[in-house]
Parts: sequence; C-alpha cells; structure tokens
Amino acid sequence: MKNTLATTKSYSFKKFMNSNNTVGHIFAAPFIFGFICFSLIPILTSFYYSFTDYSLGSKEAVFVGIRNFAKLLTDEVFVKSLVVTLKYVFISVPLKLAFALFVAFLLTRKSRLVTVYRSLYYVPSLVGGSIAVALVWKQLFARKGLFNAVLTDMGLGTINWFGDETLALYPLILMSVWQFGSSMIIFAAGLKEIPVSYYEAAKIDGANGFQTFFKITLPCLSPIILYNLVMQTISAFMAFTQAFVITKGGPNNGTMMYALYVYNQAFKYNDMGYACAMSWVMLVVMSIITLVIFKTSKMWVFSEAGD
Amino acid sequence: MNMKHTLRKTIYHLFVVIFGFVMIYPVLWMISGSFKDNAEILRGTLSLIPQEPKMSNYSTGWRGFSGITFATFFGNSLWITVVATLGTVISSSLVAYSLSRIRYKAKKLWFTCMLATMMLPGQVIMIPSFLIWHGLGLTNTYVPLILPYFCGQAFFIYQMMQFMQGIPRELDEAATIDGCSKYTIYTHIILPLLKPSIVTTIIIQFYWKWDDYMGPLLYLNRPQSYTASLAIKLFADAASTTDYGAMFAMSTISLIPVFLIFLFFNRYLVQGIGTSGLKG
Amino acid sequence: MKKKLLAVLLSASMLLSLTACGGSTEQAAAPAQDAATEEVVPAEEAAAPAEEAAAPAEETAEPITLRMAWWGSQERHDRTVKVIEMYEAENPNVDIEYEFYSFDDYFTKLKTLVASDQVWDVFQLGGNFPEYMDKIYFMNEFIDSGVVNTEKISDAYLKITQDTAGNQIGLSNGLNTYGIAYDVDMFNAAGVPLPTSTWTWDDYADAARKIAEATGHYGSSCFANNDEFIAGCSTFIGQQGTVGQYGFFNLELTDLGFDDPNMLVPYIQMRADLIKEGASPDAGAAMEVTNIENDFLVTGEAAMAWIAVNQFPTIYDICKAEGRNLALATIPRATADGPAGSVIQSSQMLCVSQDSEHKEAAAAFISWFQNSTDCNSVLQGERGIPINSDVLATLKGNASEGQQIMYDYVDLVGTFETPEKINVLSPAGQDLVVDQYNTYMHQVAAGELTAEDAAQKTFDAAKDIFAQ
Repeated sequence: MKNTLATTKSYSFKKFMNSNNTVGHIFAAPFIFGFICFSLIPILTSFYYSFTDYSLGSKEAVFVGIRNFAKLLTDEVFVKSLVVTLKYVFISVPLKLAFALFVAFLLTRKSRLVTVYRSLYYVPSLVGGSIAVALVWKQLFARKGLFNAVLTDMGLGTINWFGDETLALYPLILMSVWQFGSSMIIFAAGLKEIPVSYYEAAKIDGANGFQTFFKITLPCLSPIILYNLVMQTISAFMAFTQAFVITKGGPNNGTMMYALYVYNQAFKYNDMGYACAMSWVMLVVMSIITLVIFKTSKMWVFSEAGD
Repeated sequence: MNMKHTLRKTIYHLFVVIFGFVMIYPVLWMISGSFKDNAEILRGTLSLIPQEPKMSNYSTGWRGFSGITFATFFGNSLWITVVATLGTVISSSLVAYSLSRIRYKAKKLWFTCMLATMMLPGQVIMIPSFLIWHGLGLTNTYVPLILPYFCGQAFFIYQMMQFMQGIPRELDEAATIDGCSKYTIYTHIILPLLKPSIVTTIIIQFYWKWDDYMGPLLYLNRPQSYTASLAIKLFADAASTTDYGAMFAMSTISLIPVFLIFLFFNRYLVQGIGTSGLKG
Repeated sequence: MKKKLLAVLLSASMLLSLTACGGSTEQAAAPAQDAATEEVVPAEEAAAPAEEAAAPAEETAEPITLRMAWWGSQERHDRTVKVIEMYEAENPNVDIEYEFYSFDDYFTKLKTLVASDQVWDVFQLGGNFPEYMDKIYFMNEFIDSGVVNTEKISDAYLKITQDTAGNQIGLSNGLNTYGIAYDVDMFNAAGVPLPTSTWTWDDYADAARKIAEATGHYGSSCFANNDEFIAGCSTFIGQQGTVGQYGFFNLELTDLGFDDPNMLVPYIQMRADLIKEGASPDAGAAMEVTNIENDFLVTGEAAMAWIAVNQFPTIYDICKAEGRNLALATIPRATADGPAGSVIQSSQMLCVSQDSEHKEAAAAFISWFQNSTDCNSVLQGERGIPINSDVLATLKGNASEGQQIMYDYVDLVGTFETPEKINVLSPAGQDLVVDQYNTYMHQVAAGELTAEDAAQKTFDAAKDIFAQ
C-alpha cells in the first residue's frame, strides 16, 4: 500500500517534471529570471518617467500626465527624426539583407579560398561602431574624400555629402550596409543547414541554378531570412553610433536618428521624461512594424516544425 | 568547355577579390593610420602607405595611462568576453529550446517580452538599470557586465529558435519512442544539430562584447579594471586633444583576438558545404 | 486583457511607491549609510562621520579615502596621477582613488553617479556645471576656515567660479576666454589690414570676404563645437548699448537680458552671408572639423578661426613647424567704441561633492592642487592658465612663444571694461537653444529662412526656457 503511494507520488512528480508547462518554464528560467530582475523594472521605470518631468540632474520626477506626449506632436525635430529613421530603416535593411545573402551565397562555393574571402568580407563588421572607422567613413565622404575624387575623375563634379540634408543620410546608410557581417554569417550557417539531399533530388529532376535557388535555397532559408529581417529592422531603429560620431544629427537635422534625439534629450538637454515618452512612442511604432512582418511572414516562411 | 569553366572561375575570383578590397579599404586605412603621425591622419590623405612609417604609435598607445598598460586592459576584456560569450551560448540555447520546441501557454508572453527588451533605446534604460545594480551593491564589480549574459540574449535566443525550426520534428518523436525525455532530447538531439547556430553566436557575441564600452564605462571605476574598448576611447577626448595614431594602433591590436576567434570558428561554417553540390 | 492591464497598473503603481520611497529615504539618509562609500572607506571611519571635522593635514588623522575624477588626454592623466601620488606621499593618511575618462564618457558616468548619490569627492566640471549645482558643495566655509588657501588668488579669479550670491562653486583649474586666431601671412597676401583690439564685426566680415576672394580659401573657419553661440551670438548682445546694459540672459537668469529679437539680426545675417558666399564653412564642411588640430586654419584652408585661447599654443606650434605664423585677435565688437563683451572665464574647475563624506579633506586637496608650485610644475598648466599668481609667474617664466601670446592676450582681455556683475551660470536648457540657433542660422544660409525669422525663432526658443 505504502509502496504504491510512493510510486504514484514519484510517478506524478515525474509526470509533473515532464509536462510541457514545467519543461518550458525550466528551460526558459534563465530568461525569466533575468527579465524580471534586470529588465522589467527599468522598462516600467522608463514608462513611468514618460509621464513625468524628470531630469537626471534634479532626480525628482514630477508627474505631468500626458504633457510629454502632447509636446511630441508639436516638436518639429521629433517629426523629422521619425521620418529620417523610417527612411533609414526602409532603405538600409533590405539592402543589407540582400547584400548579406548574396555574399553568403556567393561564398558557399567549394573553394579553399572561401574562408579567406569570407574573412575579408567579415572584417568590416568586426570593427563595428569604433570611432576609428567612423572617422574613416567621414573622410571618404569629405569634400576632398575618395568618393568626390572618383566623381571628379568621371567629370561629374563634387558632392557636398554632409552639407546637404537630403544627401547626408546616404553615407550613414551605406556604412550600415557595409557592416553586414553578422547577417552574412547567420545566412551562411543557414545555408549549411540545408540538407544536401534536397539539392541532389533537384539535380535529378533537372533543375538549373536559378530554380534551385528559388525553389530550395530560399524556402529552406526563410526562417533565417525572417529572423534577420526582424532583428535588423529593430537594430536599424536603434541606430545611434554612426550619426552620433559622424554627423551629430546635422545638417539641419537631416540625420537626426531617433535614438540620437533620445540621447540628446536625455543627456544633453536633460529632459529624461521627454526622452522616455519618445522612446515609448517609437516602441509602439516598432511593435507595429514587427507585427506586420510576423503576420505577413506566415505567407512566405517555410517551417519544418510548424507551430 | 574547360576554358569556359576556367574563365568563369577567374571572373568569379577577380570579382570577389576586387570587391573585397573595396570592402576592407576603410579597415586598411585605419591600420595604415596606426603607422602615421597625427598630422598625416588629420590631413585625411587616402593613401594606404604612410609617408614615414613609424612604430611609435604602438609604444605610446601600449604605454596606456598612468602606468597601466594595455596588457591589463586587454586581459580584462578577454576574460569578461570569454565568460559572457560562454554564458550567452548556454543560456540562449536553453531558452530557445523552450520557446521553439515546447508547447505551453506562457510561451507567447515570454517571446513578446524578449522582443520588447530590444525595443527601448539603451539611453533610457541605462540609469534605472544602474540603480538596480547599485542597490545590489554590485557596481564597481564585473558582475553587471557578466551575469545578464547568463540570462539569455534576445538576439541569439531568437536566432537559435529559427535554427531549431529547421530541425525535423520527426527526430524528437523518434527519440521519445526510444525513451528520451524532453531534457535528453535537448542534450542528445538539439544541441549537436545546433552547431552552426552556436558557432555564429560565439563569433558575433564575442566581438559585440569585446567592442562594448558602455557597460564597462558605467560599472567599472578603477582604471586597473577598465576594458580595452573603454581604454581606447580615452585617446579621443573631445575637449582637449585626440591622439589618433595611438587610438588606431590600439584599435588594430584590438582587432586581432576577434579576428582569430572568427578564423577558428569559421571552419565549422564552411566545413561540409562543399558536398552540398552547389557548383552553380 | 483587463486582468493583464490591471496587473501592469498594479506593478507600475508599486514601482511608483518604491521609487518614491527610495528617493526620499536616500535624500534623508545620513551620508554614513551610503553603501558605495562604505565600500571604499574603512569601517571605523564610516562609523565616525563626526570626525570629519578633524583637520586632514594633521599627520595623526585617521585614514581618509577620497574619490576623484577628471576627463582629458593621456598627458593629463599621467600628470594628474603623478600629482596625486605626490599628495599621498605628503599626506600619508589620505588615499586618493582616481578615475579618468574622455569628455563625453565622463559626463555619462557623472549622470549615473548623480542618480545614485555617489558623486566623486573631488570632481572636475566645465561650462555645463549649472546642471550639477545640486551636487556641488560650496567652498566658502573652507576658505573662511583657512583650509583652502586663497592668498595668492585674486578676487577677480575667485569670482569666475562664484554665483551672484557669492557662493564659491569651485576653484578654477584654468582661465580662458575666446579669441580669433589668424594667419598673419594670409592677411598680408590679401592686402587686408590686421585686426586691432577694437575691430568690429564689419571689419571681420570684410576681411573674411576679401581673403576668400583673394586666396580661394575660407576667410574664417568656425568653432568646432557649439561655443560660437556664446563667443559670438550672445557676446554680440552684450556689446550693444553701454557696458552691462544687455546680456543674452538677465543677471538673475529669470528671463532674457534683452527685449528686441531684432538685436540678433545683424549678427545672424552676417554669419549666414559669409557661409552663403563661401567665406566661411557650411554645415557639411564644418562637420569635417573634428578637433582643433584639423581646423581649417591649421590645415591652411582658412585665414581665421574661432578658438578658446587655451587651444592657441597647440595650433601655434603646429603651424610654426610648417613655417606659418599665427596671431591672436580679440572677438570683434559691434561698434569700435562700444563694449568688448568678452570676459575672462573659467575653462574648468575642481569642485567638492555634496555626496562626499570628507568634504574638508577634498577641499584641502583642491587648495593644494591649485596653489602648490611643486604640484603645478608637474601639471605645467595643461588644464589652462593657473589662477595662483605665484604659479602663473613660474609658468610664464618658461613659456613658449605660443603660450606667451596667450598670456598677453588674457592680460589684454583683463583690461577691458566689464559689467559690474556677471552671472557665470547659464540657465538649464541653454544647450537646446544653442542647437536650435545653429539650425536656424544654417537655414538662413540655405535661404530657407530670413535672418529676421531666425532671430525671432531663437528668441522664442530661449524664452521657452523660462516659460515652464
């Protein structure tokens, strides 16, 4: 009698341990712990600050209701930063992904040189947001820089890249595309995961290179493409360093990325409350865009696991 | 046929090399800048060959600040980076397994929370986070720079989730029939098949952590505990002078470990690709 | 959905009360309860905060740990650490834990420390110090008690770091003022008369135009940072009427110091015209200047540059090495016989922090730092022109050519008639006005705005500071 109880108990414990809910939470425990301890409070705090008049110097947050949000509507620089950021995201992300996929695909050929080549293309990403590289980039687009030297040689005259508010964003976009290494590496890993048997089957069926690429490579890679799309979109929204180091947001706020404006408000103009309000508005914008990506992804992402 | 093949191959390599040079030019410029003097760098000449190559930037740079050399800074960076990367791989793969392979109610909530952590700019999160660590009495230690990495990193959790999507469910089912629990499926089936994803995580997280200077800036006080990324920024003082030569020299040295990690792990990404029959 | 919302609201309100409590207790708490300082202070010391009053100079005093931080270059870090070690040797009971950063990083770090009430005992502040007023402990009592020695510091130089109520905010590390550095040969080559100490903005604009025409280079470069607003635009207001009649802000910092936006128009028009005509760099070109060392004047692409005069020796030496000859002119005036508008300011200072448990020891260190000739023979005036007359005399004795010109220039500006009272503070929010002003000015140069509109908009933006 006792024995069976014990076994039932241990059986039910085992059952409990193996139930989806338990397993799920056990494996997710590191994240849940970190989220509750280190992320949740800062996130909620920033939400609270967005309804206050709070500067880092004074330390006292005075509740002001929705005043910060109302102020956003009339802030010309905020509206401009929103437009600039969206433009940056919509141009740089597709370019970067297409480029990363192209290079990753190009470099899956069977060749000893591939490792060398991939390193060559990856190095720019390693130097990341360093000041040194930002300086080089600034130099390339300077009035007497490499780009203008080439343009002059072609007889096209020079372009004042950083003097024109409509042009100044493009060097920054180009720099972001140039640092496509992490996306490329992830694509490369994804390409490697595609079972060889698929390609062999396609070959037997007489498919050519293009067909193989569109019928096998792309669908198999689609979860990775989705991943890179979502992550690069989010990080493009957060882009800060390049604008901060190279243009400081100018000329005429033509490169005032929203993260830079948040920084200026929080740290330069000492209006943390306003910076938080701005961040939350952008969080909503970002969430909507991410949601749209997820909803549409159901149409083009091919999933092995379903769910 | 053979000639046509060779020609195509040559064009391919030529294209890849020339384009690669364009890609890498700014980095080469930085490296060559580490052998130039400040005036030449500031003149902004585009040439990669220094007028009078000199090594003094390396000795000035390495000397560091007030008797603390870059050996200390690089040492600090190295162990923080290695431990944080390790933490990221372990924790992110666990969380990814939960969010991609197990069916339970709260999973959507956690996934949303995970994405949300990426959507607020660091500038507004920074001070509240600092206050938490301060409350715990852990500022001026390496804990705030390392512990969060053992709680999973959203960027990599999601990446691993996507790779797990590619692992056929039939494998899990077969393993369950063989008597595997959900725990052993993770260790025996998922982890081994996740290798490419883990390798990319190592490569990317390593250089992100290596380059990160905001964390060290906020949480470290004693110059002896500074990381290389933070120390390199000390050469660029907006209010006085900037020693570009020394900064470039130390940036160049700082590239070496990240590059070596990349070279070492890159093998695991290339290996086997040759057999995939993608000969064009 | 409702439940979720409720949960969020609940946790948010809990957080509110938490932060509110945190704030009040932290403020009310005795300094001894500060966890962070406890970490660095030996336990006995923390337990006896009353001992604070003991004179730190006495050898028998208990061990004290001071935290200190500054920003700067490799040279400054090395020199300052050497000086700190000297001080520790002279005062065995004092241990100084130092931190150093680059300029931007220093202030990011400082903001986190302000938020957590653990600002360094001794800290360096520049022109943006008003933001940190709450964290500064005034030094008056230490001057009165003799802990801080001001024998060799003139009243005028003490005043540059005092507020209008006479509170000693800190002790200046270096005097500074604005000026225009120019290339003598380029002026001569273009046949333009050299600037005098009473030259006007019209003279300046004429010179810039003529040189640009004659040489194809810029007549005048601009400030690498936003100081142009203070050195030019706001100085221009002070130059009108009689000495001290107008200022950009009023003396009490409760409102603007002038009523008519049109007073700004001639200056904005002049700056915008020079940009439009190519006699001064446009926004894109200005962005290429990252540092005083690659300013267009230094690279030979401009005949004049706006500088803070402590930058002069560096660029003088660079140009000298290339066989070029630089000189220093005053900021032009609105009218030749009108007020100069320029004043001698503090470029940076050392302050005692409110969070400090050893305010007196911190003040004693600052006093030594500014007054000791031994200390300053190591520092070598790298932070600016010293305020102690003995120290200054020693440095002047072995000054380089460029430094000599700088010293003479500061003496010259010192002779200009200045308003009786000057408020060295600037209102919070000035940085925003500066950025807006710059945007408007470049819009005028691009023909998108008239100078009148830009003046009005700048005026309104500045008024806005006081609206709340």
